[in-house]
Amino acid sequence: MYRYDQIDRTLVAERVAQFRDQTRRFLAGELTEEEFRPLRLRNGLYIQTHAPMLRIAVPYGLLAAQQVRMLAHIARHYDRGYGHFTTRQNIQFNWPELARVPDILAELATVEMHAIQTSGNCIRNVTSDHLAGIAPDEIADPRPFCEIIRQWSTVHPEFTYLPRKFKIAVTGSPADRAASEVHDIGLHMVRGTDGELGFEVLVGGGLGRQPIIGQRIREFLPPAELLAYLEAILRVYNRHGRRDNINKARIKVLVKALGAAEFARQVEAEYEANRPFAARLPEAEIERVRACFAPLPYEPLADMDVVAGRGAAFAAWFAHNTRAHKISGYRAVFISLKQHGAAPGDASAAQLDAIAAAADEFSFGQVRVTHDQNLVLGEVRQRDVPRLWERLNQHGLATPNIGTLTDIICCPGLDFCSLANAGSIPIAKQIQARFSDFDYLYDLGPIEIKISGCMNACGHHHIGHIGILGVDKHGEEWYQITIGGSSSGRVSLGEVIGPSVPKAEVAETLASILDVYVEERDSAEEPFLETVRRIGIEPFKERAYAADYIAA
Amino acid sequence: MRQIILRREIVADEWRYPGEAGVGPAVLSLAQLLAMPSVPAGTAVQLEPDDDVEALAPHLGNIVLLVIHFPKNGEGRGFSQARMLRERYGYEGTLRASGPIKRDYLYLLARCGIDSFDLDPGEDLTSAVTALDAFTVAYQRGSDGLVAPRYRQIS
Repeated sequence: MYRYDQIDRTLVAERVAQFRDQTRRFLAGELTEEEFRPLRLRNGLYIQTHAPMLRIAVPYGLLAAQQVRMLAHIARHYDRGYGHFTTRQNIQFNWPELARVPDILAELATVEMHAIQTSGNCIRNVTSDHLAGIAPDEIADPRPFCEIIRQWSTVHPEFTYLPRKFKIAVTGSPADRAASEVHDIGLHMVRGTDGELGFEVLVGGGLGRQPIIGQRIREFLPPAELLAYLEAILRVYNRHGRRDNINKARIKVLVKALGAAEFARQVEAEYEANRPFAARLPEAEIERVRACFAPLPYEPLADMDVVAGRGAAFAAWFAHNTRAHKISGYRAVFISLKQHGAAPGDASAAQLDAIAAAADEFSFGQVRVTHDQNLVLGEVRQRDVPRLWERLNQHGLATPNIGTLTDIICCPGLDFCSLANAGSIPIAKQIQARFSDFDYLYDLGPIEIKISGCMNACGHHHIGHIGILGVDKHGEEWYQITIGGSSSGRVSLGEVIGPSVPKAEVAETLASILDVYVEERDSAEEPFLETVRRIGIEPFKERAYAADYIAA
Repeated sequence: MRQIILRREIVADEWRYPGEAGVGPAVLSLAQLLAMPSVPAGTAVQLEPDDDVEALAPHLGNIVLLVIHFPKNGEGRGFSQARMLRERYGYEGTLRASGPIKRDYLYLLARCGIDSFDLDPGEDLTSAVTALDAFTVAYQRGSDGLVAPRYRQIS
C-alpha cells in the first residue's frame, strides 16, 4: 500500500498544527462558531446530537494493520470503545471531546492517517472497489490513481470552498463495486483502441434529494491528463455551480440544468484553455505510486477444496463471506460488521485489535473497508481460511450474512445525527430480529437493504434493492420503502411502492414484499432484483398494503 | 486608515471600495469600468463573485489594483477568479482579497496568486502574515511559486 514520503508527512503534520491552533482560538473565543465551522468540517469534525463526531479518512478503503490498531486505541482512549465504518469507506467516532481532537489527529498522523476533507464543501475521500487489485474481473488496479487523486485534492488551493461537497469514485472493474455512477465524478478504468489504459469519465451522479445517475462526458481520458481534466470539471463547477440554495448546489444540478452535452462542452473548452497551465501527471509519478501497489509476495499455491469435511456452518460462511482472488490458492474473506442485534458498521476496540492481528497473520497486514460497511481481509491463503474463520467467530465477526437481507447498509440516523428525521439503527435491528433464520435468508439469495434516516441519503437507500427512508410525520418516525434500486452492473434507482409505513411495521411490510418475491420468482436462481425488474412494482405494492385494507 | 497586508507587509491603504465614502482614489465596480469609454492607466477595480473575469481581460494592462471580494464565509468563486487572472490572462498587478476573511484562508488565497489581503476587522494582521506559511509543502501547482509541488508543469 502507499507509504508517506517526506512531503506527505510534512503536510499532515502542518495540518494538525494548523487545526490545533484553530481549535485553541475557537475555545478562547477568538473564532465564532460560524467562523470555526468550515474549518472544523474540513478536518472531519461535526457537531452532532450528543457530542462532536470525528470522521477519519480511510483513503479508498485501504488500511494497514497498525492503522487499525490506532483506531482501536482511539476508540478506547478518546471515545466509548467503538467506531463506526461508513458508506464512504471512512470511520467515524461519535463521542470525542472537542478539545482533544487535535491530539487524536496528531496520533493518527503517526500512522499516516488524517481526517482532512472528510466533510465540508470540498473534495472528499476518494472511494474505490474494495476488491481492487485482487478481483479476477479487474481491468486495472484503480488504487494508484485513487492515491494520486487523494494527494491532488488535499488542501487544493482553488477547490476547497466549493458550492457543495464533492465525491469521486474510481473503479477498475466493469462490475463497479464502488457505486461510481452515483458520485459527482465516476472514473472507470478502460482500455483504449490500442489496449492503452485510460478513464471513462462520468459526472453528475448522486443520491440525496435528487437521485440521479451520472452521465458520461468523456469516453477515454489518458492518465497523463487526469488531473488537468479533473481541474477543468472542478473549475466549471466552482464558477457556475449554484450557491444560493444548499439543496441545489451539487454538481448534478448544474449538469442537469445545462444538459450533459453542454456541460461537457464547457469542460472541454476549459480544459483546452487551461492547457498551458495545467499539470500533466508525469509517468514517473504514476510509476512511483503504482510501485506501492505492486503484487504482494504471494506463494505459488494451487486452488484447493476448503469446504470438504468441515461441516455446514463453515460451508455456509464460506459460501457467503468469501470471494474469489485472482491469484490461485488465495481467497478474499469478508468480515461481517452486521452481527444481528448490533448497529451495522460498528466495530469495538477489541474487535479492531483482533482484526489487526488477523490481518498481520493472514493477509499481509492489510484490511479493506467496503462501502457496504463491512471489512475484507483480501489476501488469505485458502488453507488458512478455516483457522481465520474460527478466529473471526471468537470475536463476533463471522456472521454468515454477506450479501443477504441482514447485510444492511445503514446511516447513524436519529440516534446520533442531527440531520436525521428518523432512526435507522433500530430499523436495522428490527429487520435482523424478524429475519434471523439463516436458511430463509439463504433461500432469498442476494438482497441489499439500505436505510437512510433522512433525504441526505447517507445510507444510499435509492440504490438498495430494498431502500428504506426515514421520514418525520408530525413528530413520529415513518418509513418510505423503495424497491428495484441497484448500484452495480445496471445501475437503477428504486421506485417508491406507496405511502410510508409506521416504525413498528417496517419488518412486516418487508415480509410481505419478500413473500411476493418467493411466489413470483421464475426459479430459485432468479434474484430479488431481477424479479422486481421483470414483474414491476405493482404486485409488491398490492401485497404490502393489503393489510391496511383488511384493518380498515 | 485601513491597514492591509501587501506582499507580507502591513501597510496603510487609502483606496475607496465601490459604495464606500472617503477621500482616497476610487476602486471601480466591474460595471463602472466596463461603462468607461476607455480605461486609463492606474485604474483599480473590484470583482464580485458573480463577475466573469473574461470581461476584464482586455483592460488588465491598465489596472494596478484588482480587488476580489469575498462577501461571506465559504464563498469560493474568488479562488478561480484569481487563478484565471494570474495564469490565463497574465495579470501582474496587485491582486487583493477583501471581505470578512480570517487568517485561515490566506495560505490558499496566496497559492491562487493573491498578494494583498484586506481582512476581517477583528483579525490580527501580524498573526495573519505568519499564517501565509501554514504549509511548507503542497501537492498542486499554484499561481504563487512559493512551494515546489509534486506535479510540476511540463510544457
